[in-house]
Amino acid sequence: MSFYECNLHALPEGSDSISRLAFISKRLGYNGIIVSNHTGFDNLFRPMAALGIKDIDVALGVEIVASSPEKLRNCVSTLRARYSFIAVHGGFENINRAACEDPKVDVLLHPEEGRQVLGIAAARSAEQNQVAIGFDLSPLIRLRGLPRVRWLETIRRNIILARKLDLSIMITTGGKSHFDLRSPKDLMALAQLAGLEPVEAEEALRLPARILELNRRLWLSPGVELL
Amino acid sequence: MRSKLPTLRPRRRYVAFFLNSEKEPQARELMVEIHSIQASLMGDLGTARNRLKLIYFDGHFGILRCSHDKIQDTRVILAAVHSINGARAAIWVKGISGTIKSVREKYLPRLDKMNAEKDGRRIELDEVSGCIIYIQGCEIDLCPDDQSRIKGSDTRYLGLTSYDLYGGLDDANGTSDGL
Repeated sequence: MSFYECNLHALPEGSDSISRLAFISKRLGYNGIIVSNHTGFDNLFRPMAALGIKDIDVALGVEIVASSPEKLRNCVSTLRARYSFIAVHGGFENINRAACEDPKVDVLLHPEEGRQVLGIAAARSAEQNQVAIGFDLSPLIRLRGLPRVRWLETIRRNIILARKLDLSIMITTGGKSHFDLRSPKDLMALAQLAGLEPVEAEEALRLPARILELNRRLWLSPGVELL
Repeated sequence: MRSKLPTLRPRRRYVAFFLNSEKEPQARELMVEIHSIQASLMGDLGTARNRLKLIYFDGHFGILRCSHDKIQDTRVILAAVHSINGARAAIWVKGISGTIKSVREKYLPRLDKMNAEKDGRRIELDEVSGCIIYIQGCEIDLCPDDQSRIKGSDTRYLGLTSYDLYGGLDDANGTSDGL
């Protein structure tokens, strides 16, 4: 049972230090967290303090926010060697497509932002390049009324598409403070409300650990590992 | 004569939870928020089939009664709490049991009062400075002097730990508050 929270934002982007996020996540039942600030680990507030929290794996990743596909490709090529987890902040169709076409990307996060449904072409590319689709469930907690209804409708269509093409799915709360964190069981319950099956939700929480394990190994080229 | 036949008695479950909030809410404020979320997510029909009742609440720990076949819905409702009376809050389910006695014994800590401290001490670091609002175990809530540090995160305070300040405490491994 290796559950990971895959998209947390620590100080200065969030309001909590990495050690506080790790401490609360451990208490809630996670085996690890991935802190993926938009600026990577530059300007992070005391990242080494998290080493003091035992029995939880703290990984540093990055969530790339790009204004155009070209900038996205450049960023991914530059940052791949530095980070063990590369996420892309989706939302626009061209960014979603460019992220799904790049095998160096680990996950495309919130592709449904701005009521944008994931395109068929992008989904097929994600399947070929093994790019996971990350569903940020924070709007389910934060929004009320009609905006939440719209979000639920959009995410339901994305889930149907991901299920049809057998895409890998991740779920997260996108937490910026410890108030945003939810336990794995609560997150699975929220995911089921959004339209995922219980088995899919559990698998979605386990996927980041497997991706991290693969990325931490030293690959010389696709399929060739330095032992 | 009994008012209800034993076979017709509704089956219930009791959910123990921990409320983490910037401001300690009243039980009534908490239930207003929970009922609002339940009505919004489940509708009138779902609310009628799962009548939630707060059995116990001390400001942090509480017990909520729900129907035995609506545990998943109750988890969703508690997980969807975002703020109570304007202050950020989060509810974390500790466990579920079939009787009040067992849920108290299993999941509620035997602490009469939380080990909270509020003494107006300050933290002065290179990166951040401000007044300490709350200390519990190794968790520290800090009101920063520079309010732009909390911009965009919906919270009033910065969440730090003693590890950030002086490398941590030997007993601060997640069990110091009896959870």
